[in-house]
Amino acid sequence: MARINSPKELEELRQKILSQRDPNKPCITLCSGTACHASGSENIAAIFLQELEKEGLKADVDFRRTGCHGFCERGPIVVIYPEEICYLQVQPEDVPEIISQTIKEKKVIDRLLYADPTTGEKVTYEPEIPFYKNQKQVVFGTNRRIDPTSIEDYLAIGGYRALAKALFEMTPEQVVNEVTKANLRGRGGGGFPTGRKWETTRDAPGEPKYVIVNADEGDPGAYMDRSLLEGNPHSVLEGLVIGAYAIGSHEGFIYVRQEYPLAVENVYIAIKQAEEYGLLGKNILGSGFDFTIDVHRGAGAFVSGESSALMTAIEGRVGEPRPKYIRTAVSGIWDKPSNLNNVETWANVPLIIDRGANWYTSIGTEGSKGTKIFSLVGKVNNTGLVEVPMGVTLREIIYNIGGGIPGGKKFKAVQTGGPSGGVIPEKYLDAPVDFDELTKLDSMMGSGGMIVMDEDTCVVDVARYFIDFLCDESCGKCVPCREGLKHMREILDDIVSGRGKPGDIELLEGISRIMARASLCALGQTAPNPVLTTIKYFRDEYEAHIEEKRCPALVCKDLISFYIDPSKCQACMICGRECPVGAISGGKGLVHIIDQDKCTRCGTCFDVCPARFSAVRKISGEPVPEAIPEAERVLARGK
Amino acid sequence: MSEVTFKIDGREIKAEAETTVLEAARSAGIDIPTLCYHPALTPFGACRLCVVEITSKGRKRIVTSCNYPVEEGLEVDTRSPDVIEIRKGIIEMLLARCPKVELLQDLAREYGVEEPRFKLGDEDERCILCGLCARMCEERMGASVINFVDRGVDRKVQTPFQVTGDKNLDMCRACGACAFVCPTGAIKLEDITTKEPVPIPSEFEEGLATRAPVYLPFAQAVPNAPVIDKEKCVHFTTGKCKTCEAFCAPKAIDFEQEDEIIEVDVGNIIIATGFDLFDPSVIQQYGYGRLDNVLTSLEFERTVSSAGPTEGHILLKDGSEPESIAIIHCVGSRDEQYHEYCSRVCCMYSMKFAHLIKEHTSADVYEFYIDIRSFGKGYEEFYNRMLEEETVFIRGKPAEVTDIAETPEEEGKLIVQFEDTLVGRQRRLPVDMVVLSCGIEPTKDVESIARLFNISRSADGFFLEKHPKLDPVATMTDGIFVAGCCQGPKDIPDTVAQASAAAAEALAMISRGKVEIEAATAMVNERLCTGCQLCKEICPYSAISFDEEKRVCNVNEALCKGCGACVGGCPSDAISLSHYTNEQILAQMEGALT
Repeated sequence: MARINSPKELEELRQKILSQRDPNKPCITLCSGTACHASGSENIAAIFLQELEKEGLKADVDFRRTGCHGFCERGPIVVIYPEEICYLQVQPEDVPEIISQTIKEKKVIDRLLYADPTTGEKVTYEPEIPFYKNQKQVVFGTNRRIDPTSIEDYLAIGGYRALAKALFEMTPEQVVNEVTKANLRGRGGGGFPTGRKWETTRDAPGEPKYVIVNADEGDPGAYMDRSLLEGNPHSVLEGLVIGAYAIGSHEGFIYVRQEYPLAVENVYIAIKQAEEYGLLGKNILGSGFDFTIDVHRGAGAFVSGESSALMTAIEGRVGEPRPKYIRTAVSGIWDKPSNLNNVETWANVPLIIDRGANWYTSIGTEGSKGTKIFSLVGKVNNTGLVEVPMGVTLREIIYNIGGGIPGGKKFKAVQTGGPSGGVIPEKYLDAPVDFDELTKLDSMMGSGGMIVMDEDTCVVDVARYFIDFLCDESCGKCVPCREGLKHMREILDDIVSGRGKPGDIELLEGISRIMARASLCALGQTAPNPVLTTIKYFRDEYEAHIEEKRCPALVCKDLISFYIDPSKCQACMICGRECPVGAISGGKGLVHIIDQDKCTRCGTCFDVCPARFSAVRKISGEPVPEAIPEAERVLARGK
Repeated sequence: MSEVTFKIDGREIKAEAETTVLEAARSAGIDIPTLCYHPALTPFGACRLCVVEITSKGRKRIVTSCNYPVEEGLEVDTRSPDVIEIRKGIIEMLLARCPKVELLQDLAREYGVEEPRFKLGDEDERCILCGLCARMCEERMGASVINFVDRGVDRKVQTPFQVTGDKNLDMCRACGACAFVCPTGAIKLEDITTKEPVPIPSEFEEGLATRAPVYLPFAQAVPNAPVIDKEKCVHFTTGKCKTCEAFCAPKAIDFEQEDEIIEVDVGNIIIATGFDLFDPSVIQQYGYGRLDNVLTSLEFERTVSSAGPTEGHILLKDGSEPESIAIIHCVGSRDEQYHEYCSRVCCMYSMKFAHLIKEHTSADVYEFYIDIRSFGKGYEEFYNRMLEEETVFIRGKPAEVTDIAETPEEEGKLIVQFEDTLVGRQRRLPVDMVVLSCGIEPTKDVESIARLFNISRSADGFFLEKHPKLDPVATMTDGIFVAGCCQGPKDIPDTVAQASAAAAEALAMISRGKVEIEAATAMVNERLCTGCQLCKEICPYSAISFDEEKRVCNVNEALCKGCGACVGGCPSDAISLSHYTNEQILAQMEGALT
């Protein structure tokens, strides 16, 4: 690879790459994101290559492994260009058929297409699938068009054009002003204006200055940053170099979790390629600007996502937050000015520089501009990563993109912002999603986690889950967070296991008040949010647990019992066979009865009882009906 | 550094811009409670007890005062309702964690926190995870061997040795700084390290107490300023620490100071180098150093001193009070094996001990003596008073002190084996404590001092005065005087008298302003002198020096007494006495004979 020494050479290289590519040449792309990888895309890729070789199509058909497409529910995803025919849940045995039918015969394989769950109508082309149609993928969309390990792919779609523009057509001040004008806000959770942060670091005394990519995403169920870093690492690098130029930094860090092996690998590859092309290192693009990047692999602590803890970790110490009365932008790594933004924020930067702040501010709401990637998970039909403009309502995300709640269940609530966020109930489904609106609902945008819950979810149990998660993931440094979480967990454990006492709710609120105001870092300050919002919106459920010892959602094991309705039981013996503890008695023609003393409430009988009988019931807050007399157990089957 | 003006609890306060709210408040006498703060360590901000409510740029918020820097126009409320609510919450949480820690119980009382509403922790739990130990070990001691392990609710303090069980990883120096700084007594050194701590014995307290590496030698030390023991100080041994510097408000500690030799030109020198106490461990039969509760007189002196390590309580090693004490006189004195002379002070201080023992305890006192020498003014009367106070005086020097019991009554006691010479019988006396009245002997460096000043010593090793009766403070060298026990054993009145005399002699010379020198002094004929320096060795007055350049000897006429020793001793006949040259003597002889 030859070094690129000027913007002109960069454009020439881009044209050269494009000229070698025929837009009409068939190209099979296979999603190799983490979710599809887990569903076997690795194996499918090998079979594709093998088949192409066998059919002698290697020269005529391109094959590309791309980053995450977002529709993880239906992976592995195969998209065939130039038509953009999209096949979902492709299995190895489908590969020869795809090649023989679609590639050779140009025929669409109907069974691999997306089918509308209600109408059953098939959708052939990827952009027309409702999941994608209702999104606005400006940051994440490039993922599915490029191979993350190929810088040429990134260059072909206009990569590093923004960098050239910033370095040669703009002063650092103009870059900062553009980002400020675009009103880009931190995508990591806090929503702090990025331009202002950059300016603070640039104006802070002290050299060297550092810029950092926070890729320590750790919220349960969230994987936006991971997929972005895995699927399009160059967009993050480009944003970082532009930011470094604007701030006056010559050294950057990418703090990435060791648990993200593919992200780590792809980032290393990307850095190496960028260095070889002269897009990183000394005298970038011949501009005289120097910038190098170090990758720091995280040791697996959730709290290291907090900016001061992350910087402490980069210094080689245990990742624990430190007080930030002097901002890290002024005194960060080794007490030097350090600007930290998360992956998604950096990935937005090249777009703003390339297309301008005016374009950027045309997307989004008054206070929140641009798009946001959410990780839509939980009780929703289409789980995956979705990118929408700020201001789209929760309902649009969950129903139009997410396809609603599976199994015809009722929507109950959605948890946004991870363990620091809150639970939003149904009545706010039409609230627009942006930084300020979610905060008004006592939740937060966070890094973009969105966990959908249906009527079968117990909110007390959810709150307990998040508190339990934080008990393990808090660093334990400050008293309110460490001790507060411990006592919250004890109280919630008591409530879900039927030992709740009157006053427990008030005690939880009291602990929360202390934690929210006195904790050292945002982790502790926001840790009570899941508890506070569930109390606020679902206080009756807490009261049912405490006063009636009843779990309205029929989830909390210690508060529920399984009961076989004798009028429905057809004595099929399935539950009796499956019960792992032998708690079910009965036999052929004999109505089954659960021995409540033996029952461990695992729910197996409930799951295996044939739907047409539905004889097993969960009951809570009421005594289990007396077993019917032995004489009445004999089943009289109608002919 | 610039100064800023701001308000704490409505009071206007000025402070340097770099100080924290806590430091400024404390200097102004405003109390803010803390648990994880230490003036010598980086603020940690973990306990959150020091929270205050501030109004900065029109915005109210809660911050920790230990690490919030003061700023112009800041308003601080140290006891707002929110602050009190948070402190109460924190105290309640910590008390639930460590219910038996007094520090937290006191705080709970102060803030009106009643029984915690949460599940109580283990009664043995004392650690509040304030991190003082870890920061002290890392920031100041430079060892970094104690730190937090695990995270979240499982966080605890441990050392590598505790974690791995590998003793080779035990890099702890057993300095004890962690245990010292721990506010709740959660750290016991034996739990931290496999190593034994090495305490620094206090020289002044005869090793009965320990001291820190920075210390005041003793209460009346002159100058009355602390000193740093360079051999033990962590800063001088490892380059870290400097904790004392952080505490010293007047910034009086200077680590750059070096030992220096100061040369002073003087006309007179008074040598008052004192004495050493006889070391009784060489008398093995008395068991000093081997048997507990056998003490030297100086150790016992510190024990009975109200400013001493036990505040004047006479206690045995096990902490109990003795019921009987034997005091053995003439240990090392009047003994052909050690010192033949009488140390003069032992009889009287032994009787003083008897008196003090009677005053402090109800113990029986036995004085084993050879002769009672109560020679001074009022001394004999004191002896008689001791007899009245029922001190038992036994004439006879004990042969042995042992802990091997022969009868049940002797079990667990020290037995003094002696001959009562007044009765003429061998006896054994079981006691709880034995005090050895050790004698006075010349200091260990007496010989080098004598050589330095070229003064003589008598057979007992003490410095020799010019004349025992007629010139008892002068030495053979003019202008050098001796005073006190360096000249011979004596008690305090005698020492003071001799010191006064020496001072008077020196003053006499100073007021005269000049010295009379001998007319007949030795002269060196430089042409004949071979530079053998034999004369220099011979001269009793240190009057001869060697001229390195000319390679010949010179006579200092101010010091020369004209004794003629060098004249006779010079092998090359290069020295003659002025007015008494060989030629003059011969001429006189010739004249007399003709």
